[in-house]
Amino acid sequence: MRLPSHLPLFWTICLINGVVLVAAALLLLFSPAQVSADAVPSEFIVVGAGLVVMILTDALLIRWALAPLNRLIARLEDIEHLEPTELPEEGSGPVLGIAQSVNGLLERLAEERRTGDARALAAQEAERHRVAQELHDEVGQSLTVVLLGLKQLESQAPADLVPELAAVRESARAGLDDVRRVARRLRPGVLEDLGLASALAALATEFSDHSSASVRRSFAPGLPALSQEAEVVVYRVAQEALTNAARHADARAVELSLQRLGDRVVLEVRDDGRGFTGLAEGSGLMGMRERAALVRAELSVVSQPRHGTTVRLKVPFEAVGA
Amino acid sequence: MIRILLADDHTLVRRGVRLILEQEPDLSVVAEAGDGAEAVERVRDTEVDLVVLDIAMPRMTGLQAAAEIARRRHPPKILMLSMHDNEQYFFGALKAGASGYVLKSVADEDLVAACRAAMRGETFLYPGVESTLVRDYLDRLRRGERVPASVLTAREDQVIKLIAEGRSSREIAKDLHIALKTVEGHRANILGKLRMRDRVELTRYAIRAGLIEP
Repeated sequence: MRLPSHLPLFWTICLINGVVLVAAALLLLFSPAQVSADAVPSEFIVVGAGLVVMILTDALLIRWALAPLNRLIARLEDIEHLEPTELPEEGSGPVLGIAQSVNGLLERLAEERRTGDARALAAQEAERHRVAQELHDEVGQSLTVVLLGLKQLESQAPADLVPELAAVRESARAGLDDVRRVARRLRPGVLEDLGLASALAALATEFSDHSSASVRRSFAPGLPALSQEAEVVVYRVAQEALTNAARHADARAVELSLQRLGDRVVLEVRDDGRGFTGLAEGSGLMGMRERAALVRAELSVVSQPRHGTTVRLKVPFEAVGA
Repeated sequence: MIRILLADDHTLVRRGVRLILEQEPDLSVVAEAGDGAEAVERVRDTEVDLVVLDIAMPRMTGLQAAAEIARRRHPPKILMLSMHDNEQYFFGALKAGASGYVLKSVADEDLVAACRAAMRGETFLYPGVESTLVRDYLDRLRRGERVPASVLTAREDQVIKLIAEGRSSREIAKDLHIALKTVEGHRANILGKLRMRDRVELTRYAIRAGLIEP
């Protein structure tokens, strides 16, 4: 039995009480029972029993009316921080209203969290960009000057100084290599200079250079341009997926592809590694999800033990940059 | 005498590069530019045989400037100078018309050799991209794919495997107990046999191998 869904809580309770009172009054009027002016003990018992029955009926009815509210409270406590699920908009009377407003609140919170995350990640990327640029433009150039200067000095220095100078020059070279490596880890310059496909290709080459797995890449030609923000997300997700494949999955072969599917650009990283069960997700996967949410992309990770892992990122390219 | 135009936005780097180049009696820096657009202008008003361009410059990047310069009727040879150890930039440079790519971190050793290679009409490969290409080639060979026919001698076979591991000529010479000059000779022969000496061939190979986009 359902209460009419538009009835507010106040009126539900009133109605229940009213029904019980009316029932009691009818009982009193049309039953042979009566109370004399000077109540006798038997009448006390009858009236007392009647009262108890009334209160119990009332309590049971109100409990029944409030049950959906309790279920709602239990569901609210179950809402997870990271993956807020919507409450089912069911039930009657006030419960439906609460479910609707909680859903509205969740939606606003999620939106706020998305923009907050977006701002944090954008700030992080911008900062990385700045540091990388400075490393390249300032430190890198100065070390280049040192390197070339030492080479020049070596040709004019007395012979006994040459080995020493050569050793210092090697240190300068090592420093320059370090700067380049750090800068590249901070921010892939190739993404800005040459575009997403080139950056992913470079990522694949770098990956096969530093791991035992081989990478097969296929990039569909003529992909629609994504916003700079979305390109960084795609790049970072690919980077993370490749790192996982090498570090945790022990993969031997990885396929990296970028295609267009309807109004989305789809990145897929499929490996033949160990895979995993359940959601034993490291912070890596969490990070991927957060980044994906930034550009309203859809991330799916499918993994089976011994059958490898497939990471798929679908980026809508019209909503991008909105 | 080889006349060189030098373009880099960093004055001190330009000076360093100039000093290295001018240690060679047959190389002379006849003009300098502080950005890509200026480099294009200098090529217009100065006669040069070789342009050395920094890849990252304001106003017009080295790659854009290279493409612009390569479009001239009689373009000078072009060398790119770069911080990036990344084959995508290298192939980007080749596509733009450059015939060599020198990493700044080995510019003290390689720049002069790269200038000479460019003037001979050869492509100068930096060590990292060379091992990437050679490894890709060996992978294909192992998978039984058809690759540019080549017959390497036993010694060249030894050398190519060490190149694939990313060893420098000096390390290879030490490992195989042969002279540095001999290693350089083997390297040149191998690259020649794999048809990786020629800019156009190399770009075609990279596109076919999926290393870069067409």
